[in-house]
Amino acid sequence: MIVIATPQRRRAMWPAARIVGAALVLIVALLALLGSVVVPGDPFAQSLVKALAGPDPAAPLGYDHLGRSIFHRLVDALWLSPVIALAAVATAGSAGLALGTLAAALGGWVERGLVILADALLALPGLLLVLIVLAMVPGTALGFWAGLSLVLWVEFFRLTRAATREVLASPAVQASRLLGFGPIYLFRAHIWPEIAPMMLTAAAFGTATAIMAIAALGFVHVGMRAPTPELGLMMVELLPYWREAPLALLSPVIATFALLLGLTLLAGSRKS
Amino acid sequence: MSLLKAEDVTVLDGGAPLLQPLSLHLDPGEPLVILGETGSGKSLLAQALMGTLPPELTARGRVAIAGRVLDTGSPDRFRGLWGREIGVLPQEPWLSLDPLMRARAQVAETHALVRGLPRGEAAARAQADLAALGLAGAERRYPHELSGGMAQRVAIAAARAGGGRIVIADEPTKGLDAGRRDDVASLLLSEMGDTGGLLVITHDLALARRLGGRLIVLRSGAVVEQGPSRHVFAAPQDAYTREFLAADPENWSARTPWAGMEPAVVSARDLAVSRGGRSLFAGISLRIAPGRIFGVTGPSGCGKSSLGDALLGLIPPDRGTVTRRPGDHPHAMQKLYQDPVAAFPRKRSIGQTLADTVAVSGGNSADVDGLLDRLGLDPTLLGRRPGAVSGGELQRLSLLRVLLRSPSFVFTDEPTSRLDPISQARVIRLLTEISEKDGVALMLVSHYAALIRNTADTVLSLDAAGTAAISEPATFGTPVAEALT
Repeated sequence: MIVIATPQRRRAMWPAARIVGAALVLIVALLALLGSVVVPGDPFAQSLVKALAGPDPAAPLGYDHLGRSIFHRLVDALWLSPVIALAAVATAGSAGLALGTLAAALGGWVERGLVILADALLALPGLLLVLIVLAMVPGTALGFWAGLSLVLWVEFFRLTRAATREVLASPAVQASRLLGFGPIYLFRAHIWPEIAPMMLTAAAFGTATAIMAIAALGFVHVGMRAPTPELGLMMVELLPYWREAPLALLSPVIATFALLLGLTLLAGSRKS
Repeated sequence: MSLLKAEDVTVLDGGAPLLQPLSLHLDPGEPLVILGETGSGKSLLAQALMGTLPPELTARGRVAIAGRVLDTGSPDRFRGLWGREIGVLPQEPWLSLDPLMRARAQVAETHALVRGLPRGEAAARAQADLAALGLAGAERRYPHELSGGMAQRVAIAAARAGGGRIVIADEPTKGLDAGRRDDVASLLLSEMGDTGGLLVITHDLALARRLGGRLIVLRSGAVVEQGPSRHVFAAPQDAYTREFLAADPENWSARTPWAGMEPAVVSARDLAVSRGGRSLFAGISLRIAPGRIFGVTGPSGCGKSSLGDALLGLIPPDRGTVTRRPGDHPHAMQKLYQDPVAAFPRKRSIGQTLADTVAVSGGNSADVDGLLDRLGLDPTLLGRRPGAVSGGELQRLSLLRVLLRSPSFVFTDEPTSRLDPISQARVIRLLTEISEKDGVALMLVSHYAALIRNTADTVLSLDAAGTAAISEPATFGTPVAEALT
């Protein structure tokens, strides 16, 4: 009789996918934060002599068709989209959280009205909604923030409402109510701990969606206007020169891909 | 010839043994019951025998099933036996059925996939299995359309469809009322027949007594006593077994009846409650005085819990009035829940929750220490989350939380139906003691008639048709005319 002991299999605190995701996001963030400190330079300075030239010490990723440093434009672009995206996610998250909790707690007409509004917004294509808002709001960054917030809150609202309804119907909440706890305590002790992990996941996905939306609209020339460095805009500007300067085109593509992949991995690999 | 023979089965957590070496054998036609309180290691034993231990635990020992000798240390080898040799009846089987599948399809699936029968034949076999269990006519129903007992029978049919001669049932009567418990016992016995094997893991003394066969009593991972059930029940040798058997509500001494008419803490007049459009009961009048225990008993679904919820004002009655004692503070009416884990904030430490309760009721934190002592609870439990505390301890912690509010009335809704007999006896003893000393009016709801009979001052029996009878246990069965419907 051979005795084979099962090896000890203990679950790691962080799954590998999440570590990779966090590392990718961290790398992109470091690039955005420290890029222009390590290699000082101006993303708008043109020098047509250097158009589409390869990398040199002043421009580690080479030059675009107008002779601007790709590296510095990329660093700038990696500031712009994430900041707009994070602002939109923060607004949408808090609005969704507040309205979702309110809908679940109050029920009745408040809930029905909010659900109808959310469903109506869900029926519209997100990019179209952002475009409409962009046309109405002066200032592209502000327009993106408003439009994306309007698209993203629905997800947070739906998640919060579903989870809160379940929590509020539980014996634990009934017990707390009998003991005399008020709505603020119920939210803090019962609802928030249950929805916080979901909210973080939704926030990471939402940030990725927002960055992608900004890049997609930039790519079709209806988002950020030139000469603002923006990921989608950079790609479309450099697309005609893919043969002459492949590195110039690949830089924004790789940066966008790394950022989106990182956010998705961070969001998707929730502990079961 | 034994169907299953286990030798020196041990379960280890790292280096620490959770289950001492144990040998057993399972013979055809003779049930084997493993009896033990929560944490005695009885479920670990079953998992080791099936090869389903959680990966962080290791098992040692040999198991011989169907002419094959397997090592419990390599659980992957057991996979081939599942369904074919061993059928497992999980706890609360209605949760293990696929909610989107009709009854017959659940059983036919095992026939088709485990036995490899063609679809048509599998369906016909499943039909016959269900008919044999008295489920003819229910084969096209979904699990939510089945009663708990029917769902249990479907689960048994599915567990047996693979042709396994051995059935392992882990707490098959958890949360069931007395009538349903007897049904499950007879069902398990008839399924076993003369050739099958039956291993039942339970803390339910009534079930163990009904099943008969042989009995193994476990305590903290070690065998305390074993032998034929009849002998163990008639003349337990070990002190622990005696304590365990004495904890059975059937063996409790009855409470001295109450005479006196203090003003009621809560009273109801002509109460009628319905749920989901179905009338549960009507015309119930009752009064509960301080320091007294008002027992409510009846089969599941008769509206016992709804009566308590109506008294607490949690559900509106259709008719009738509930009157509270004037002058009580607004949170003086409290509730203890059947499943204490579900009654605490899941992700907060118990100590934190209790501190919050102290804060909201304007007490001071020394109250918690005093009550911990009084309820025999270890202060280290406060650092844990509700999921990491045993049911008995958590129910006492729920009681502690409720007492922090200095209640005048507590509705205890099946407070011990998920506890083993020893924890149950302890919780009920504490409830009785607190009710007497602090003058708390208790409403004790339980499906367990013996428990109510031996604990309550006044008993209200409800039946499924919504008929109610109030009686004093001393004259159990003869209704008191004054309090009647």
